[in-house]
Amino acid sequence: MFFEADLGGDLTRPGQTKPYKIEVNETKNSWKIALQEEGGEWVRYEISKDDYRIVENIVNLIWNGGSYLIDVYGSGIDYTVYTRSSVRTVKIYNDEALLHESLKKGSLIGGGENLVAGMPGKIVKVLVNKGDVLKSGQPVLIMEAMKMENEMRASAEVRVKDILVKPADSVESGQTLVLFEPVK
Amino acid sequence: MTSNPPFKKVLIANRGEIALRVIRACRELGIASAAVYSDADRNSLHVLLADEAYNIGPAPSKESYLNIDNILKAIKQCGADAVHPGYGFLSENAEFAEALKKAGVTFIGPTPDNIRAMGDKISAIRLMRDAGVPTVPGSGGPVDTIEDAKKVVEKIGLPVMIKATAGGGGKGMRIVREMSELESSYRAARSEGLNYFKNDTVYIERFIQNPKHIEVQVFGDQHGNAVHLFERECSIQRRNQKIIEESPSPSVPHEVRHRLGDVSIKAVKALRYQGAGTFEFIFDNITKEFFFMEMNTRLQVEHPVTEMVTGIDLVQEQIFVAAGRPLSFKQEDVVQRGHAIEARICAEDPLTYQPSPGLIRRCRHPQGPFIRLDSYAYPGYEVPIFYDPMVAKLIAWGPNRETAIRRLDRALTEFTLTGIKTNILMHKSILQSPKFLDGSYTTQFCDKDLEIKMPKLFRSVDDHVFLITAAIAAYNEKRAKSVSDYNTLSRWQSVGRSTTLRDQ
Repeated sequence: MFFEADLGGDLTRPGQTKPYKIEVNETKNSWKIALQEEGGEWVRYEISKDDYRIVENIVNLIWNGGSYLIDVYGSGIDYTVYTRSSVRTVKIYNDEALLHESLKKGSLIGGGENLVAGMPGKIVKVLVNKGDVLKSGQPVLIMEAMKMENEMRASAEVRVKDILVKPADSVESGQTLVLFEPVK
Repeated sequence: MTSNPPFKKVLIANRGEIALRVIRACRELGIASAAVYSDADRNSLHVLLADEAYNIGPAPSKESYLNIDNILKAIKQCGADAVHPGYGFLSENAEFAEALKKAGVTFIGPTPDNIRAMGDKISAIRLMRDAGVPTVPGSGGPVDTIEDAKKVVEKIGLPVMIKATAGGGGKGMRIVREMSELESSYRAARSEGLNYFKNDTVYIERFIQNPKHIEVQVFGDQHGNAVHLFERECSIQRRNQKIIEESPSPSVPHEVRHRLGDVSIKAVKALRYQGAGTFEFIFDNITKEFFFMEMNTRLQVEHPVTEMVTGIDLVQEQIFVAAGRPLSFKQEDVVQRGHAIEARICAEDPLTYQPSPGLIRRCRHPQGPFIRLDSYAYPGYEVPIFYDPMVAKLIAWGPNRETAIRRLDRALTEFTLTGIKTNILMHKSILQSPKFLDGSYTTQFCDKDLEIKMPKLFRSVDDHVFLITAAIAAYNEKRAKSVSDYNTLSRWQSVGRSTTLRDQ
């Protein structure tokens, strides 16, 4: 089965992803996996099914001299993988998913993503106005969650297209707070 | 089980790991425990593990854990004869302590007068100074002229900090390192005070250049006995909140340690303080001087490190003292044995410190020699958004600091908590930082000295491990889906399909 993937979630490189092509082939006794980072060579692995076990819903992968206890979850195109206190998010597309993604993104490609609440909370203050051009990292609004005020910042240079919340609004996790558009 | 429990039933006016801590203390003493919980905490571990549990209102703290009327109702309902407030919430609320007294229920904590005396920070400093406790040298009041400012600086020495009385958030504050800067800084602080806070009153204090947070655990009883249980160092802080604590402090010399203890005992006696309390000092790591900052009139989050080095159960001692018994030990019985260190595990982004509440998917707790874990996390538990993000405290003991640090590091490696972000990796990187290891760290550590090891730790696992695992998961999901699609085909379609297959 052929996939395209985006590896992200490295907390020290917020917003950055690395594109990969992946091929997965299952045989009776092993997994054959080929990976290619964009612009790089194909790297091929054969992992015996004995080295890829699911124990109590957790994957134990014995690989390259290491034994990894891995918690992987997700469905559709979004997967989250935890191991050794590290976490990555992996977007995995096959043909069908690729098409769906491009439709969803539409003209927003290159415009940076909109500001979305990562957790439920309350809006304390909005620091920008409609039409403002923001630098990457510039504070957009302050949201209160878990007793603390959190500043939410723009992840790229964008223009504020619309502001969908006002101070004192309660917001849900995943709710879009501010719409951005690309700066021409 | 003791033959003579000091109380029949203790209601715990708190949640999270500290509620569990109190439940455990009660159970060991043969005391029944009653938990209280908000609507958001029905599934919280303290509710599941207590002997009894009572709902005290909606999720926001104000309407539940801070709602004195609702808690009084729960007390009446369950017939508790004592209340343990834990830390935070109502633990330093004199009105609550007073209300319990009126209801004939014992508050496991200091007297309302004790709480009030230390509650106001400015009057607490005055009180302590009068009791002979060192406080930060300074003007002790407004400095109205530049001539007065010069006199103060001549007396207390440089560097100094000029602060606007109404100031905050770094505004209206000036550090003066040389006498020649005094006049301009004095003027600047006053004008900033006027511009930002409409008040140009300023005062002057010694500026501590390498500040450490050192605190002393104390205990007093109703019979006038007072003891200290040595110091803890809590200089590793982020957002002005402690995240790593240890005892003893690697920076406090032996003779200073004893002075800290003596001064603290004097203060406990002057206050006629009853129960567990903590004197917080700012410690100058160059001059090794210490100055009183404030007193916490309650149990601290980091009390386990003291328990580990002294072998004294602080929560049980609180219960005994509240019941009117004399302290169960004398000063000479208190020995600092070995070294203990605690890491606060929080549901938060380890780099931005933003809270990360949500569903805990997997939770594997560390085990093994000389490890203590006070945690309320379990798989399937949803960390609510309403309260503190701390979900666990991991404590390690060793005969010396190096061993304790290595054990804590090892236990952090074993700790698996997924579904939410945690600061486990941040703790690991702190434990590898040279300034932490040599003990020279100050309260500015997280802002100034951390970054170095972080990126390396966050990339210690090969990217291919994540990709392989995610790809196999995606493959399995696709396969499972196509199989189920096949299963849901109508009978006619399946027959048609198998016929076609047979023909091939």
